[in-house]
Amino acid sequence: MTTQRVMLTDGWTSYQGVNVDDAAENTATSDLIKILDTVEVPIVVVQRDFMIASFNKAAADVLGLSPSDIGRALRDISVPPGLSRLEQQCSQVIIGGVECRADFRQGDRSFVVRISPNTKDDRQVTGTVLTFTNVTAFRASIDQAIYERECTKAILNTVVDPLVVLSADHRIQSGNRAFYTMFGVSRDETQEVPLSELGHSAFEVASLQKQLDETLAGSHVFQPIEVDHVFTAKGQRTLILDARPLSFPGHSERRVLVTFQDITERKQAEAAKDLRSEEELRRSEAKIRRLVEANVVGIVMFNLEGAIISANEAFLHMVQYSREDLDSGRVRWKDLTPAEWRDCDDRAIAELNATGIFQPFEKEYFRRDGSRVPVLLGGAFFEGSGNEGVAFILDLSEEKRAEEALRRSEAFLKEGQRLARIGTFSWHVATEEITWSEELYRIFEFQHGAPVTLELISTRVHPEDIPLLNDMIDRARGGASGFEYEYRLLLPDHLVKYLHLIAHGSRGKDGQLEYIGAVQDVTQRRSSEAALAKAQSELAHVARVTSLGALTASIAHEINQPLSGIFTNCSTCLRMLTADPPNLDGARETARRTMRDGNRASAVIARLHALFSKKDTTIEMLDLNEAVREVIALSLSELQRHRVILRPELADNLPLVTGDRVQLQQVILNLLQNASDAMSTVDDRPRDLLIRTEREEGDWVRFSVKDAGVGFDPQTMDKLFEAFYTTKNDGMGIGLSVSRSIIESHQGRLWATRNEGPGATFSFSIPCRTDTKVQ
Amino acid sequence: MKSCRERSAIERSLVTVVDDDESVRESLPDLLREFGFAAHAFSSAEEFLASDSVGETKCLILDIAMPGMTGLDLQRELKIRAHKIPIIFITAQNDEVVRARAFDQGAAEFLLKPFSDTALFTALNTALGVS
Repeated sequence: MTTQRVMLTDGWTSYQGVNVDDAAENTATSDLIKILDTVEVPIVVVQRDFMIASFNKAAADVLGLSPSDIGRALRDISVPPGLSRLEQQCSQVIIGGVECRADFRQGDRSFVVRISPNTKDDRQVTGTVLTFTNVTAFRASIDQAIYERECTKAILNTVVDPLVVLSADHRIQSGNRAFYTMFGVSRDETQEVPLSELGHSAFEVASLQKQLDETLAGSHVFQPIEVDHVFTAKGQRTLILDARPLSFPGHSERRVLVTFQDITERKQAEAAKDLRSEEELRRSEAKIRRLVEANVVGIVMFNLEGAIISANEAFLHMVQYSREDLDSGRVRWKDLTPAEWRDCDDRAIAELNATGIFQPFEKEYFRRDGSRVPVLLGGAFFEGSGNEGVAFILDLSEEKRAEEALRRSEAFLKEGQRLARIGTFSWHVATEEITWSEELYRIFEFQHGAPVTLELISTRVHPEDIPLLNDMIDRARGGASGFEYEYRLLLPDHLVKYLHLIAHGSRGKDGQLEYIGAVQDVTQRRSSEAALAKAQSELAHVARVTSLGALTASIAHEINQPLSGIFTNCSTCLRMLTADPPNLDGARETARRTMRDGNRASAVIARLHALFSKKDTTIEMLDLNEAVREVIALSLSELQRHRVILRPELADNLPLVTGDRVQLQQVILNLLQNASDAMSTVDDRPRDLLIRTEREEGDWVRFSVKDAGVGFDPQTMDKLFEAFYTTKNDGMGIGLSVSRSIIESHQGRLWATRNEGPGATFSFSIPCRTDTKVQ
Repeated sequence: MKSCRERSAIERSLVTVVDDDESVRESLPDLLREFGFAAHAFSSAEEFLASDSVGETKCLILDIAMPGMTGLDLQRELKIRAHKIPIIFITAQNDEVVRARAFDQGAAEFLLKPFSDTALFTALNTALGVS
């Protein structure tokens, strides 16, 4: 195959393709071919029938065409793919004779294909010339620019403050969403509109125009401008305008970015605050003025030299001086102070110098006539002053008079004291001087008027309560502000009296501590309490004996069980001994077992004895789990007889509780029996009985019994714990009320709740560590 | 009675004790062996039912009140399983209702704890049909 010269429309020549005969012409053509081959742009010549006529070297290198593609139709070319799609454009160019452009992609490269008509001399279109311009890098930069523009737009639109870009002549170019929203305008209607025309020309401010020009020129840094503007929707707002120049690389055009910051709320808040603080100041001044004018409190402005700079009427009235006396400088606080109060003044001044204020203290002033007025005094330096201050003075004459009157009226109280069996006393700690009221002598059964001493008192105090008396004396000598005691007297005729004493300390005129107190003889109250406790304990015993009856069958079982072992062992033992030869080892073993069974039987009896014998309460540290286990052991067979399925859940490491074991066991037994009784008619479900001990927060221990019985009506819940209330035909109804009083005497509580399923849960909680007072 | 001891080991009948009380389980088998029986003890009805002794037991000495399955429950269960083992009930509670039900269900004897060795021996003979 040889080359043939082909004239192209624009005078270019390609190479290859058609067989040529003329060798002379070939030389000239080959020069053109070389030129075309140096062009880096792929060029392909296509005939009318879309056959590839020729292409240059770049087409082979870049597009991958091979010489064998010459003479093949575009649609048959597989490398590069997609050439076939250009056939349609080629046919349009051939028909219309007008050049067109098409996109072409190969791999990650993009080309713009210029498709030009190829004409012969007679202008007849013989085919097309395809020129492939590589636009890959260009495309990428356009994509990047579009992406960045979108990002910027998104950022600007999320900015809350309105932003707008102006041209050099202040015409609006574009704004963010906040900008259009604020002014209530659309992007289109404000495009190229001068900023000054915006919002009814509110922004036609000379200084703004000037600053924008200077900023654009780069000769000035924009100083924020405050503009008030009335918006149709939002009313008057105060805006801060700021601006900065924008420049674009490669562009001479300059623009300016203007920001609007709405500071209306901030301004309003500041204004309100200013107004408030002014108002507060005005009010507090008014208060002080009222205080000064009210003349209830004496107010004095003083200096440390001893002068009174000014004083109100109240103070002048207190010390009986006139305003002329004050103005003449005759009234000096140092001179008003009696000598024995100077120390107190010195202490106050020291405090004033150290802290700027002095705490109120009681002292006296001389009046003009030389008499004294008791006062309460407090004060402070003026702010920033180390010499002048203000003092507030309260006249205590009335209070002191009242105190005196109170002391004097003591006589009137005597009869009342006698009625209430209350005696009063005063006790001057330093001098050990004790004064008793008549009634107190009577309570202590001393001769009226006899000198009272601590030693004398101690001869009457019950020996067991002497430590209490000593404790009280220690407290009084330690300067306690007051105290309260209960102790007993043991009188010569062996009568015991219960006394309740309350005392309050106060400092007398001489600054010495004196206690004024009352002592009440509470023996009667105590003995009725004791009687109540006794009645309660009898009641508990009745309840105990009642449950004893209910437990008889259970007890018989408990004792018969080991007895049965004893009988059997003895029989076996005898048989072993009488055998021939006697089985001595076997006999010894059975005898040993007999003894063990005997011990078991006696343990059962001891338990019963503890639970049912009437005796006084014994407070001890006890393990609630152990107490529960003992009760379970006693009542197990009884519960089993009633087909109760017992599920004990006793917590590990339960702390010890303080209390009366027997009483607590009595409550536990009562709750178990109630639970068992509540299930006696239940046949459609297991008679489950959950017995639980657990530790509660705050050092409490809880015991609960959850049954699956008939439950109780929530309306009768409170009645459950009333004495003689019962839902049982054969019950005495005394169990729960007694149980509750037992638990309450352990500082605990007993309550009932309805289960989510059938039945009820009865629980009690008692504190683990307490000074339990059980009655 | 002495003749009992002279029975050969092969002839020895197995008497099984079911009682939740430990002292009964300890003492009764020894006495039964003195009588010449082989003896086993179980602490619950469930344990007994799960053992091989069910098939071999010739006589059952059974407590009434036990946690879980009671003596009467076991009696019914054995009847359902068609084990015709004669049963001597022993109980520490004198409850006429229970006693009547036990005999209704076919108990051989009903002994109240504590019982004498003679009473037990007589009951065993009754149960095993020995005159």
